[in-house]
Parts: sequence; structure tokens; C-alpha cells
Amino acid sequence: MMTETAPVDAAAHEAFSALALTAIDDVYRFARSLTRDESDAEDVVQETYLRAFRSWTTFQTGTDVRRWLFTIARNVFLRSKERGKREVTLDDDGAEAVDASEAHDNWVRKGLDPILASSELGPAIEQALSEIPDAFRTVVVLVDVEDQSYEAAAEVLGIPVGTVRSRLFRGRKLLQEKLIMHAQDAGLIPTSGDAGRPS
Amino acid sequence: MMQETSQEMIDCRKAAAKLYDLLDGQLTPEIEQKLRDHVSGCPHCFTLADFEKRFLGAIKGIKESGCCPENLRAKVTESLRAAGFRG
Repeated sequence: MMTETAPVDAAAHEAFSALALTAIDDVYRFARSLTRDESDAEDVVQETYLRAFRSWTTFQTGTDVRRWLFTIARNVFLRSKERGKREVTLDDDGAEAVDASEAHDNWVRKGLDPILASSELGPAIEQALSEIPDAFRTVVVLVDVEDQSYEAAAEVLGIPVGTVRSRLFRGRKLLQEKLIMHAQDAGLIPTSGDAGRPS
Repeated sequence: MMQETSQEMIDCRKAAAKLYDLLDGQLTPEIEQKLRDHVSGCPHCFTLADFEKRFLGAIKGIKESGCCPENLRAKVTESLRAAGFRG
């Protein structure tokens, strides 16, 4: 647990402003990925910054401030929602063997090519992200959107690096499947040509 | 970083399973080179790798559209000032 020691000198306030506050876009995106609710995300961001400010003297200069803020945000989220007790048990083992099949990859690649060229790609990815399970979404957001390393994501989420790797793999594949459905709904690819789709 | 033996053969199935490790820089130099050799010489895996690279780039692209709303920035600053922040 962090000791709450708000900064007292002007330099510390300036550093908090320059380092922590400039990362608010990243914290906001991560909070949204955690909560999937705009209002809840705003609460998480506000509480995260209050805690970060009160604990600022414990932040080690030179380390990754975003990783530190993401960790606080996750703790705020878990505490507010008591989500820690409801973490799903994921079957990480074996997912890769199933999803890396050539049939699956062919199906996904052919179906996703049109949507990767679509002007609606950004909103489609955001929608697809909101539809995959929390445990996968948070890893994809941390690594793929926020450029955090596997090790940093593991630290933020309190899980082993191997679990980050397997959830990332599974999360990306789930995202691709959601995007295929979006492309079908949008009429970018036919819904009747699923002969090669894995069952 | 993935610990693999450098002696193992890379086929298409193995290449597909390790493609994200390659794109994420998670492989040892030896395994990475073996995988790159396979991918560059295999039309199927080359196409798949190109697709996955574009897919990951597309995910990264949503960062630009997810900015914190101005009213939330203001609320955060206000609550920080109430807590003693002098920024």
C-alpha cells in the first residue's frame, strides 16, 4: 500500500503537472477499457489523480509514470467495483493451438482485409474492444494501444508475464472475430460466404 | 522473452503460433531469425504476417481518437486544487 504523502514544494507540483497530468489521455483510455462506461471511467480518472497526487512523493523519478498511473487506476477500479472477487478464470492454456490454425487465419485474413481498408475502422475497433471480455481487453489496451511492454502490463494487472502473452494472443483473435461480425453487419463482406469459417 | 531451443524447425503452424511473439519482439535472436527466414520464404506466412502487422497498427491507431474530454480535465484539476495542488 502506498503511503499518502502529497508534495509540499513547488518543484514537486510542477513535476506532477508535467509528468502525471500530461498522461491524462492515456489514463482516461485505460479507465474506459476497464469500466466500459463513460461515467464510471470519469470517476476512476478523478480518483486515480487524487491518489496519485497524494502519493506523488512515492513516485520514483525516472520510472514510467504511465505504468504507475495505470496501476493506481486498476486498483481504484477494483476497489470501487469490488471486481477483484469476480475475476474470471480463464483457460489460457491451449488457446493458441486452436486459434493459430491455418483455417482460422485464412478465414480471418480474408474477412478482415476489407475492413482494414475501411474509413470506419477506428470506431469498429473501439466497438469490438468493448465487446470482448475484460481480462483480454485490458491486456490488448495496455500493450497494443498504450505501448506497454509485456512486463509492464503484467505489473499493472498483477498477473504473470506468460498470462499477459496468452491473453494478448486470445484477445487479438477475439477482436478479429468481432471485427468480422462488424464487417458482415456493415455489408463489407458477405455473410453467406462462411464455408471456410472454423466451427 | 520466449525461451525456445534454436534447433527446433519452424513450419507454418508453428510460425502462425509465434507470429505475435515475433511482431512484439518477444523471441530470442536465434528463434527470431529462424522465424523471419521462414516467413520471408513462405508466401502464406508472409501474407499472414503482413496482415497481422496491419491489424496491430490499426489497433494502435485508436489511440488518436480516445482523448480525455475537456470537462473531465477541468474536473480533475479542480479536485486536485481542492486537495492542495498548486499547478
